[in-house]
Amino acid sequence: MEQFLQQLINGLAVGSIYALIALGYTMVYGVLKLINFAHGDLFTYGAYLGLTLLTSFMLQDRLGLVLGLGVLALMVMGLVAVVGVVLERTAYRPLRESPRLSAVVSALGGSIFLQNALMLIYGARYQVYPDILPQTAVDLFGVAVPVVRLAVVAVSVVMMAVLFLFVQRTRIGTAIRAAAIDQGAARLMGIDVNRVVQLVFVIGPALGGAAGLLVGLYYGQISFTMGWVYGMKAFTAAILGGIGNIPGAMVGGLLLGVVEALGAAYLSIAWKDAIAFVVLILILIVRPSGLLGERVAEKV
Amino acid sequence: MKKSMGVVLAAMGLLGSAPAHAADTIKIGLMAPLTGSWASEGQEMKRNVELLAGELNAKGGLLGKQVEVVIEDDGGDPRTAALAAQKLSTKGVVAVIGTYGSAVTEASQTILDEAGIIQVANGSTAVRLTEKGLKYFFRTCPRDDEQGRVAAKVVEKTKAKKVAILHDNSAYSKGLADEINGLLKGKTNVVFFDALTPKEQDYSAILTKLKAAGPEVVFFTGYYPEGGLLLKQKKQMGWSVPFIGGDAINNPDLVKIAGKEAAEGFQFLSPPVPKDLDTPEAKAYVAAYQKKYGEAASSIYGVLAGDGFRVVAKAIEGSKATTADAIRAYLTTQLKAFPGYTGKIEFNGKGDRVGELYRVYKVAKDGSFALQP
Amino acid sequence: MSWRLLALYLAGAAAVACAPLVLDAYWVDVLNSVGLYVLLALSLNLILGDAGLFNMGHAAFYAVGAYATAILNTRLGVPVLWALPVAGLVAAAFGAAVARPVIHLRGDYLLVVTIGLGEIVRIALVNDVFGLTGGANGIFGIARPVLLGQKIRKPQEFLYLIWAFVALTVFLFHRLEVSRFGRALTYLREDPVAAEGSGIDTARYRLMAFSLGAAWAGMTGSLYAAKMTIISPESFSFWESVVLFLMVILGGSGSIPGVIAGSALVVVLPELFRGFASARMLVFGLVMMVMMVVRPQGLFPLRSLRFRRRDAERAGVAP
Repeated sequence: MEQFLQQLINGLAVGSIYALIALGYTMVYGVLKLINFAHGDLFTYGAYLGLTLLTSFMLQDRLGLVLGLGVLALMVMGLVAVVGVVLERTAYRPLRESPRLSAVVSALGGSIFLQNALMLIYGARYQVYPDILPQTAVDLFGVAVPVVRLAVVAVSVVMMAVLFLFVQRTRIGTAIRAAAIDQGAARLMGIDVNRVVQLVFVIGPALGGAAGLLVGLYYGQISFTMGWVYGMKAFTAAILGGIGNIPGAMVGGLLLGVVEALGAAYLSIAWKDAIAFVVLILILIVRPSGLLGERVAEKV
Repeated sequence: MKKSMGVVLAAMGLLGSAPAHAADTIKIGLMAPLTGSWASEGQEMKRNVELLAGELNAKGGLLGKQVEVVIEDDGGDPRTAALAAQKLSTKGVVAVIGTYGSAVTEASQTILDEAGIIQVANGSTAVRLTEKGLKYFFRTCPRDDEQGRVAAKVVEKTKAKKVAILHDNSAYSKGLADEINGLLKGKTNVVFFDALTPKEQDYSAILTKLKAAGPEVVFFTGYYPEGGLLLKQKKQMGWSVPFIGGDAINNPDLVKIAGKEAAEGFQFLSPPVPKDLDTPEAKAYVAAYQKKYGEAASSIYGVLAGDGFRVVAKAIEGSKATTADAIRAYLTTQLKAFPGYTGKIEFNGKGDRVGELYRVYKVAKDGSFALQP
Repeated sequence: MSWRLLALYLAGAAAVACAPLVLDAYWVDVLNSVGLYVLLALSLNLILGDAGLFNMGHAAFYAVGAYATAILNTRLGVPVLWALPVAGLVAAAFGAAVARPVIHLRGDYLLVVTIGLGEIVRIALVNDVFGLTGGANGIFGIARPVLLGQKIRKPQEFLYLIWAFVALTVFLFHRLEVSRFGRALTYLREDPVAAEGSGIDTARYRLMAFSLGAAWAGMTGSLYAAKMTIISPESFSFWESVVLFLMVILGGSGSIPGVIAGSALVVVLPELFRGFASARMLVFGLVMMVMMVVRPQGLFPLRSLRFRRRDAERAGVAP
C-alpha cells in the first residue's frame, strides 16, 4: 500500500509535466488541426533559457526564492512565446491552406532546426541547473514526499486551472473555442481567426516553456534532445484525452504518468513504455476519440 | 525525379572520385565519433592519435615513410559507422584505429575484415566482438567479462546479502549486468534485476520499486547521465543504500548532475583515468598532451586509441611490412609486454588484450574521483 | 505511365547501372542506402499516400521482416533470399493483425497508435521477446545472400540486387495504381463517404493497403539484414519511422516518382551537407521547412490525370 501511494505520487508528478506540455499540442490542434511537432523543442527552449536567465540574473538571491522564480518563470514564458509566434509565422502560416501533412513536415523541419540551433549555441553536453530548491520531505499518509515534488504538481495544476478558467469564462477564451469548432463560422461572427491562432501560439509555448523550466529546476539535468522524449509522451497524452480538448489534455497527461509509474512498479520497468502504449491503444479501441474527445465523423 | 537524381549522381561523382594520394606515405585510419552523443570521446581519440602520429613523423616515420592519419566520423551510430568503414576501405589504409561503442564497432568489423584491413578498437568491450573468429580484429580495451569479474569481486567485498542489479538495456549495459548476475549466482542473493529507460529524467518510480526490494547494495551498469539522476533522486527520497557503477559512469559530469553531496561515496570500476596512469612514459605523454592541447586528457579511451596506434606502428616497424597478415602475425606472436601508456600490452589469438586493467574509484567529498588501493 | 516518365526511369536505371564505374565503394554504398529507403518509402506510400492512413510506425514492419529473416537464417539455416518472401508474409500478417482493430481510427489518432505500435515492437525487440531477438545486441552472423551461385558481399554487388528489387517494385506499384485496387484507394482517399456510398468496402481496402505496405517493408528489412549481417533494435527506432514519413510527404504523397525523389533527397542531403560539420542537421531542418513552404504539395506531386486537356476541349469546356 505504501508503495502504491508512493508510486501514485511519482506518477502524478511526471504526469503533471506531461499535461502542461500536452496543453500546447491540444490547443494548437484545436484551432489549426495541426500537430505541432516542434512543441517538444519549445519545451526544451524553456529549460535552456531558464538556465541562462537563472545563472545570469540570480533573481532567487535578490528577490527571494518564490518571487525570484516567479519572475523567472514569467520571463521564460514570454521568451518561449516569442519563439512560438515566430515559428508560426515562418513555418506554419504559409502552409495554412496546404494539405495538412505538409505542415506536419514543416513542423518536423522546425523541430530539427530548433534542436540543432540549441546544440550549436550550448554544445552537445548535458547542462546542469544549480541546486537552489530545498531538499526537505514531508509526511503524506505515511509516505515521505519531497516538497519540491508536491510543488511541481501544485504549480502545474494551478496553471492548468487558470488556463481552463480563461478559456471557459473570458471573451477571448470563447473566441478560441469558437475558432476550434468552426473557423469559417467564427470568422463570420467577427472573430479575427489570425489573432486567435497567434494567441494560441503564445499560450501553448508559454506553458511548454514553463514546463521546461520546472523540469530543469526539479531534475537538474537537461539536454537539447529531451524535447523529443517529453514531446512524444505529451502528444500521446493529448491524444489519450481527446486531442483538441483542454481538460482532456490534463486528464490524459496525469493518467499517462500514473499508468507509467504503476506499470513500472507492478509489471516491468523495462516494458514500462510499451505498457503505456498498450493502455492507450486499448482505450482508443473502446473510445476512438480519446477519453473526453467528441465523436466526429471522419473527414479527411 | 530522375533529373534530380542525375544532379545528385553528378555531385557524387565529383565528391567520390578525388584522386588517390601517391603511395609514399603509410596510411593509418581512425574511426571515431566526432559528432553525436559520444563526440567528446571521439574528439579526444583524434587528438591522441594525431599527437602520436606527429611525434612519430618527427622521428622519421615508419620504414622511412611518413605516416598519414585518415580520419572518418562514425557519429556514434552503427549505420554511419558502416559507411565510414566503407570509406576508409577505399582509401588504402593498412590499419584502422577505433572506434568507441561496441555496437558501432560491430557495424564496421565485417567490412574491414573482408577488406583485409587490421582494426584495433579502443572502446568496444562487448565479449562477442572477438568471439566471431575475425582474423584482423584487435582491441586495446578489456572485455565486459573481465569487468564483470572485477565487479563481482567488489560486490562480494561489501558482504551484502541482497544485491540489486540495474541496467539500461543497451548492449554494453545489459551484457555487463548479465555477467555480474551470473558470477554472483550462489554467492549472494540477487533480489532485483531490471532495466531503466535511458534519456528520461524521472527515475523515482524505479527507485521506489528498488527500495521495496530491500537491497543492501545496488549495481548500476548504465551511463553517467542516468547514474547522476539516480543518485540525486535517491538522496531526495532519503534512501542511503550504496550504489556501485560500471566504467560507463566514469565522467566528471556525473558529479555535476548528482550534486557533490549525493555523489559522495559512490564507487565505480574503470580503467585508470589518464591522470592516474603511473609509468614514467605515460606521465610524460600525458604532460605532452596537456602542452599541445592546453587541457588535460580526460578520457582513458582516447589514450587507449593512442595505444592502438602505437602497437600498429610497432608491428609495422617490427615486421618491416604493411600487409595485414604480417601485422597480425606480429601482434599475436611477437608483441610481448609492450610498454603501452595504459599498461603492458599483449594480445591473445582472438585479438583480446591480455592482463588486468580495471581499478576501483570512489567519489570523494569534493566530487573528485579517488583511486582506491 | 507517360512516355516522359518512362524515359526518366530508363535514364535513372542506366545511371544506377553505371554508377560503380564512376563512384567509389563509399558512394555506391550511399546509393544502396538510397535504394533501401526508396523501397521503404514506396511501401509507406501505399499506406500513407494511396490509402491516406497516417502511419508513423512503419519501422515496425521493416523490423519484423529483418528479424524474421535473421532468425530464419541464423537458427534454421534458411538462405537469405529464400527467407525474403517469408519475411514479407510474416510482416503482412503482422500488419493485418495489428491494423485490424485500429484501422477505423481518425487520422491523428491512428498516427499516435502507429507510433505506439512502432515503440512496442522496438521495446519487445530490446527485451529479447521469446528469447529470439537477442535483446539490445540484436542478431549477428546473418549469412550473405547467394544468387545464381554468386555470393553477394561487395557494395557494387548489393547495388544490383537492391536496385533490381527497386525496379521491380516501381513497375508493380505503377501497375497497381491503375488496377481496380488502386482506383478504389484513390476514390477512398479523395472522398471516403462517396466511395463507401458506391459500394467500396472501406475497411477491407484499407486493410489490404496496410498489409501490402507492411509486406514490402518486411521484404526490404530482409534485404537490409542481408546487407548489414547484423541487426539491432536501434536501427528501427521512432526516428526511422519519422524519416520515412518525411520522404513520402516531401517527395509528393501518392506519387511514385515523387516518393523516389524524396527518399533520395533525405538520404543524400545530410551526406552532401557534411561540409557544414556540426551545423549539417540545422541546415537540413531549414531546407525541409523552406521546401514545404515553397512546394507544399511535395517535389513531384501526384497529378490526377484522369481528365486531360483534350478531354476538356472535347467536352467543349475552356481548360
